[in-house]
Amino acid sequence: MSSFIIETKDLYKIYKDQASEVHAVDGVSLCIAQGEFTAIVGPSGSGKTTLLNLIGGLDTPTAGSLCIDGEDISRLSSRELIDFRLHHIGFIFQSYNLIPVLTAKENVSFIMDLQGRKRRDADSRSMELLDAVGLGDRADSRPAKLSGGQQQRVAVARALASKPRFILADEPTANLDSKSAANLLDMMERLNKQEHTTFLFSTHDPRIMAKARRIITLEDGRIVNDIVKEG
Amino acid sequence: MKTILVSLAWKNIWRNKLRSGMILGAIAVGLFAGTFMTAFMSGWISRSVESDIRNHLSYIRIHHPDFDANNDINAFFMQEDVRSHIASVSEITGSSYRLELSGMLASAANAVGVAVKGVDVADEKGVFLLYQTIPDTCGSFFPDDGRMQIVISRKTAEKLKVRLRSKLVLTFQDTEGEIQNVAFRVGGIFKTSNTSFDEGCVLVRKSDILPYTGLPAGAAHEVSLMTSGFETCRSALPRLQTLLPGMDVQSWDVLQPELGLMFRWIDLMNGVILAIFLAALSFGIVNTMLMAVLERTRELGMLACIGMSRKRIFRMIMLETLFLTGLGSCIGILLGLVVTGYTARNGIDLTFMLEDQFEDFGFGSIVYPVMQLKTFAGIVTLVILTGLLSAIYPARKALKLEPLDSIRY
Repeated sequence: MSSFIIETKDLYKIYKDQASEVHAVDGVSLCIAQGEFTAIVGPSGSGKTTLLNLIGGLDTPTAGSLCIDGEDISRLSSRELIDFRLHHIGFIFQSYNLIPVLTAKENVSFIMDLQGRKRRDADSRSMELLDAVGLGDRADSRPAKLSGGQQQRVAVARALASKPRFILADEPTANLDSKSAANLLDMMERLNKQEHTTFLFSTHDPRIMAKARRIITLEDGRIVNDIVKEG
Repeated sequence: MKTILVSLAWKNIWRNKLRSGMILGAIAVGLFAGTFMTAFMSGWISRSVESDIRNHLSYIRIHHPDFDANNDINAFFMQEDVRSHIASVSEITGSSYRLELSGMLASAANAVGVAVKGVDVADEKGVFLLYQTIPDTCGSFFPDDGRMQIVISRKTAEKLKVRLRSKLVLTFQDTEGEIQNVAFRVGGIFKTSNTSFDEGCVLVRKSDILPYTGLPAGAAHEVSLMTSGFETCRSALPRLQTLLPGMDVQSWDVLQPELGLMFRWIDLMNGVILAIFLAALSFGIVNTMLMAVLERTRELGMLACIGMSRKRIFRMIMLETLFLTGLGSCIGILLGLVVTGYTARNGIDLTFMLEDQFEDFGFGSIVYPVMQLKTFAGIVTLVILTGLLSAIYPARKALKLEPLDSIRY
């Protein structure tokens, strides 16, 4: 069995129409190990989000293999993929995407309810995670009562709640002011170090690039640079 | 999981309070109208039918098999032959053995054709409530003053231009075909809510008329039987038919098929009207839920992304629709039942519309709405069906959303 959490080999995603073919992901081979704090960067249209969607099981590759924890998820049915995402992957979206009618605590525990965890366990872990992201005192607030930065912190707590193998974060700081973005990144870095949670970002944000310990650069769907920072 | 799904669905319907409030109001008003209208129509019809049964028809009537529409005076039976059989049927609460003759009733001013009922006063009062329809100022049901008394309706009195204690002559054929003329005094003038009955029927004491008929003592043309209601009538009828195979044992809806038909017709109409109400409401429900789904495309996509199965998303939207329909229906039905309960006690007086002209058609002018358990169960079933059918389309719409497309929406 592979020691990598994420392993792609000659991964392709090709969009076809009558006139042309677009290679959104063009033969990407990539390995991500446990505990990495990695940013995928590149200009708009370089295929960052498409690659993240493929890794997250939200989209299916045209060709190539995509193994998560040694399991080739490109062979899974859509129903199996939903279940796979629920138990193995945490998602952080650009625009938070919290459920507006639920409180911060309920938003975090919701995913554990989906997993069928006991209510008491879900409640205690939700509070633990909200404390970890610095929102223990806002557990009963609905998203509308929280700032953008606070909502994104709840989204991080939600992503961690299912105890995923890794977290995919698509432009998580794009809608935040610089102070909120810095706080969020500090918090994610701390969680990465303390809990050894793997983070994979798709971003343009130089602040994330500065924090990331590995930076993979994509251009026209291909990896053109893969730098692992020292220390 | 079920709890959070239920809780989330409940919270979701209150996202847009105005929109949900509007559709809840529409459902509640629709169901209130449907429930109350059903109760109103049922009450109107059943009261009219019950009034006919209690005043002159009875639940079950037994005739000699040769007694036909011509009221053949010779088609009689002896009371002793049937009394013990009737007594053995526990559902029967009262019986009145009657003579039935066709004749001509004449005053100094006019003459009318009538059906004459020869009754035993005590037995008649034990079965029919006709005696209660005689106002205090219009005499009574055979006052015990020894005179030959006849009880006629107000309509007949008007046609014959007679009043209380006026003299009338009844002409009829006896068993030998001989014409008999018997003089009576008007002892009481009744008025029911059934004009056609009022116009055609008069009552005399059986003991007064029997000597003129040529019939033997103890003879009767019919026996009218009372039960506690429609249900007991239905259970008593086949037993009586078995016990009295040589007699015509008929229930009220056979004796007057138009009444039975009216009952069934009203049931059908109530069902059809309620179904139309609910079908119209279901378009509103589908529209509201569809808007709710389309507005939440991104959120539903996010739920699918993080691992909420399509089945659960489908179930959540189904629950939201059912909550909306259920809540609105409960409010409407409850309101309908409260108003039905109030009006059932106090009645709704319709005389302001057409005075007492409803009575010309056999309907009372005061309506007492009634909600039967069977009707209530029908309404609830229709509501559940509407909720389920309305829920399917929006839920299927949510089911078809692709997570990736939806999250970008």
